[in-house]
Amino acid sequence: MSKVKNWHLGREMEYAYEESRPKRQWAIVFDLNKCIACQTCSLACKTTWTSGKGQEYMFWNNVETKPYGSYPLAWDVRVLEKLGPQTWAGGKYQGKTIFEGAVPSERAVHFAPTDEDWMYPNVGEDDCAGSVPNAGDHIGELPHDRWFFYLPRTCAHCTYPACLAACPRKAIYKREEDGIVLIDQSRCKGYGECVRACPYKKSMYNPHTRTSEKCVGCYPAVEQGVQPQCVVNCIGKIRVMGFINPPWKARADNPIDYLVHKKQIALPYYPQLGLEPNIYYIPPVHADPAYLRQMFGPQVDGAVERYKTLHKDPVAAGLLTLIGSTDRIMHGFRVANGVARGFDEAGQEIVDVPVTEPIIERPAVDEKTGVVHYNTP
Amino acid sequence: MKRTLGAAALALASLAGAGPASAEIVARAVKADLTKPDPKAAYWQKAPVEKVSLLAQPMAIPRPATTLTSEVSVQAVHDDQWLAVRLTWKDADLSEAGRLGEFSDAAAIQFPVKSNEAPPPVFMGAKDNPVHIYHWRAQYQRDKLRGKPTMKDLYPNLSIDIYPLEFKDPGSLGETPTAAREQFSPGVAEGNPQSYAKTGVDEIVAEGFSTSSVQEGHGSAAEGAWANGEWSVVITRRLANEGGSTLKVGAGSFMGFAVWQGGAAEVGSRKSVTMIWTPLRVDGTQLALGVAP
Repeated sequence: MSKVKNWHLGREMEYAYEESRPKRQWAIVFDLNKCIACQTCSLACKTTWTSGKGQEYMFWNNVETKPYGSYPLAWDVRVLEKLGPQTWAGGKYQGKTIFEGAVPSERAVHFAPTDEDWMYPNVGEDDCAGSVPNAGDHIGELPHDRWFFYLPRTCAHCTYPACLAACPRKAIYKREEDGIVLIDQSRCKGYGECVRACPYKKSMYNPHTRTSEKCVGCYPAVEQGVQPQCVVNCIGKIRVMGFINPPWKARADNPIDYLVHKKQIALPYYPQLGLEPNIYYIPPVHADPAYLRQMFGPQVDGAVERYKTLHKDPVAAGLLTLIGSTDRIMHGFRVANGVARGFDEAGQEIVDVPVTEPIIERPAVDEKTGVVHYNTP
Repeated sequence: MKRTLGAAALALASLAGAGPASAEIVARAVKADLTKPDPKAAYWQKAPVEKVSLLAQPMAIPRPATTLTSEVSVQAVHDDQWLAVRLTWKDADLSEAGRLGEFSDAAAIQFPVKSNEAPPPVFMGAKDNPVHIYHWRAQYQRDKLRGKPTMKDLYPNLSIDIYPLEFKDPGSLGETPTAAREQFSPGVAEGNPQSYAKTGVDEIVAEGFSTSSVQEGHGSAAEGAWANGEWSVVITRRLANEGGSTLKVGAGSFMGFAVWQGGAAEVGSRKSVTMIWTPLRVDGTQLALGVAP
């Protein structure tokens, strides 16, 4: 075991291999306040990657309702309950990660999902926490006393992947050029160690190929400077893919760094597991703060408060309008004179959008032509 | 990391060496076609039985918590061209794998590739000192006997509208080429041996843990039979293999063993293994078969 730096935990931790950060790290930020669980991302992914034999129930991207939804069944509580106390103090995680809590014969604290656990991808959908509303009830304050929210999930292409650590064949690797974690499909023998070890349960077994498979981060698109399918097909424009830097290398003009490091409104989920996952969530402002704290850690209260006033910051508002406005990967952005601009790796502008869409009013009836204007977009 | 492992291997080897010296497996000649493995052949009644001790694999993580197979009975015969090894061990259930979380019963025999006086580390060899492994799985045998299971075999109630390019009624489009359909099965498209129907046994060359890779067969076959809580598996191999383990009549070599109980979720590094090499002698004398009863 090696000592590695995990900035999500505010401390060093134990990992199977030495710290080796890629040249740049694939990352997605999701705004959970906007997700409507339309599953367009799930289907975009499925039709692109998992329509074959043995992939019938395989969703590399899924959207589950929290707190009651889960895919596979109860993936979150089943690993969390094995982990022991998960407390934080002064921004530092005090408990054990799945690597530190593992018995000596295993790489990680884990559970092995059964076949049936994957067969209910929509379990708990739209189930509400809190009491059932009565007629005339009014939910008028934040946070809501009855709530649920949608959690879209892909592989987090972790800095410290448990799947990679657990594979005795070393058939899993993390790419130096973009941090994408891949299972070598010519080398995997389907032992299922990654399926057991990944606490987010994003390695899946294909009984037709007899190998394990997982989200590939749409690397063929990423290599061409294009964002993954689940991102570019998101009709709610809730997500953006880019490259994240660790905090000590953060750049304020990098969209991901801006949201995660500068504004600190996007947080990793279940950071206490110790994988330094690279999907980040802007937490839902209406959900139970206690639930959010166990999922996103102690910084979540501040993130929720900052998000509520985010629209007053023209730079932040500009970035939010850029999200979903281009298929290309934005390496940089700038907001000036009411216009937000995104730039590619070479610094070339790839998109510009007005921070505030102009409002144009026109009469309901055009007297000259006699045409009635309907307000349909 | 490597240094620690090496030290641990040394400690374990010396520990194992402290026990009684391992006896020898003697393979005598028989007049039979050993290219066809047969666990029930008459010569197995006469071939000497060597009981080999196994322990839960102690080195590579993840490791099994307990030893599930503590002993395997080994016999060997040859016909001047092929060596046949019969392994017998207790396993309460027959497991052939298939769905997620179902693993196969399996066994493997291992030989040094180089004919040095001292064999490589018994734990799957070392860099530039490879081992040649013959890995039998009940799953591979199932493939050989009944073909690679389809999704419908694995999930009899499965219903699916369409797989890519597989039309229920191809009509004027005709059948799509296999290669086009297989693009949607990454392991198959990549040519991973795991994703193809097996013939019973995999030949593997390894230079230490995590390095094993399946080779084009030099010449081997296997046949297993499970009855009354016991597996009896015969693995046969060519004596001479260019680039692999070569055995000579009248000369000695070494063998290592591993057994997996698939029903107890043993797979990969979760296995019972021999901690030391067992000497093997390919003997020129004929096996005395005696008078048939």
